[in-house]
Amino acid sequence: MQEVINLSKGQTIDLRKNFKGENVYDLSQITVGLGWDVREEKIFKTVELEQSMIDRLLGKPKKYEKIEIEQDDFDLDAIAFLLDSNGKVSNLGKDLKFNNGNKVGLHGGDIVFFNSMTYPSGTGTSQMLFPEGTPKSEIGRKINHLLNSGELIVHTGDNLTGEGEGDDEQIIVKLNSLPAKIDKILFLVCIYQGDKRQQHFGQVDNAFMRACDANGKEIARYSLSNSKDFDGMRSMIFGEMYRHDSEWKFRAIGNPEPTDSFVEILKRYLNK
Amino acid sequence: MSQEVINLRKGDKVAVGFTNITVGLGWEPNEGTGGTFDLDVSAIMIDENRKTTKDFFIFYGNLCGRRISTNNAETHKGYADGTKDCDKEGCKDGLYGVMHTGDDPDGESSEGGDDESIIVDLNKIPSNILEILFVVTIDSAEQKKQNFGQVRDSYIRLLDNGTGKEVMKYELGEDFSIETGIEFGRLYKRNNEWKFDASGIGYKEDLGFFLNKYFTGTILGKNKTT
Repeated sequence: MQEVINLSKGQTIDLRKNFKGENVYDLSQITVGLGWDVREEKIFKTVELEQSMIDRLLGKPKKYEKIEIEQDDFDLDAIAFLLDSNGKVSNLGKDLKFNNGNKVGLHGGDIVFFNSMTYPSGTGTSQMLFPEGTPKSEIGRKINHLLNSGELIVHTGDNLTGEGEGDDEQIIVKLNSLPAKIDKILFLVCIYQGDKRQQHFGQVDNAFMRACDANGKEIARYSLSNSKDFDGMRSMIFGEMYRHDSEWKFRAIGNPEPTDSFVEILKRYLNK
Repeated sequence: MSQEVINLRKGDKVAVGFTNITVGLGWEPNEGTGGTFDLDVSAIMIDENRKTTKDFFIFYGNLCGRRISTNNAETHKGYADGTKDCDKEGCKDGLYGVMHTGDDPDGESSEGGDDESIIVDLNKIPSNILEILFVVTIDSAEQKKQNFGQVRDSYIRLLDNGTGKEVMKYELGEDFSIETGIEFGRLYKRNNEWKFDASGIGYKEDLGFFLNKYFTGTILGKNKTT
């Protein structure tokens, strides 16, 4: 694997005030959105059709057919790490066990992702909360319900293909209601099984991650595709919300990494 | 112990008789209009193949060789991976003998003194490292249309930590007024002896330009796309 050094420092954005000291953003709630386009490029291969015995005897020319090669969809995931004042993820949650004996880890802890959809409760996996085919209105209703019944951070569901306009996945954070022990929130995006499927951001069309305030006003945005910088990259630390002098600030980081696994990145944020 | 005091001038090549060295960068914040000046000091540790790697490029994104970056520029606490004190991790002086004290984004860290430093312990440098190149660059100089001539009281200097004496100093605004990147000097090893070459060469280039000479991997976030 080729080494990568990123020289960019990232921009710090004061989320409360502009240079005149006026409030610019409504931070009662922020939404970090991830969007990308469904894979459209098709790859074909040419195969030789089997000839009948008679055709072969008659010396007829061989026939060929173009067939489409099945390709995996791009499955990008939005993930949030909630860090304590030591910069660590202190609660890794528990295993969530299913009746059939299967289980998923890191549920109900300080990581919000497709297998732990809310903070603080966890509230199951994306598949449980929003089974495939759940209508948009139903998703919206459930999210509002969760936010109104004590959940402080809600993931809007695992979009497996990028279908849909605008944000395909969101993490909604009631920033002003978070307990003091959460000092920083790190937002990242990974391509699910990107390694195995031989996918990277360089192949994905119109991928972006952005942060918006309670009124939908965009605070920061990173484009993940159509740039050489993201070739070979399968995850990116998008940015971090952090407390500073009793206010929240946002730092856009935009640091891509070759790994497709957020667990790999999580290792850097664990207490030793 | 008596220590001969050396005072270097541009182009001088001398043996350094001491092993603990500080390369200090200082400047004063912009008081006028326009943006802040963000100067950076970095060290490129070069091996016998004239190459460097991610670990051996010491800068604001890799302070001690463990790839801890100064992402939290306001407080100089809480590095990118949450580590606050490299001491606990056993790399207080840098894993490879070279340690960056942390990024200063605007020159506010010190009034009159060093705002960023790189501390070198020559006894801890791995044997395959034959040269350490020190550079000073202005972050985003091209976008911000900045050069050293606009920065107040900026300098780069070399100190002998044993005596606290200043061995070499460049006033950047005077010596490199139209430049944006400076090769301050090189520590290099010949016959197991470390020498310092006070090269002092200015360029209208960014940090990526210097790194690109010795690093074969991908460099992101360069000011220039060349």
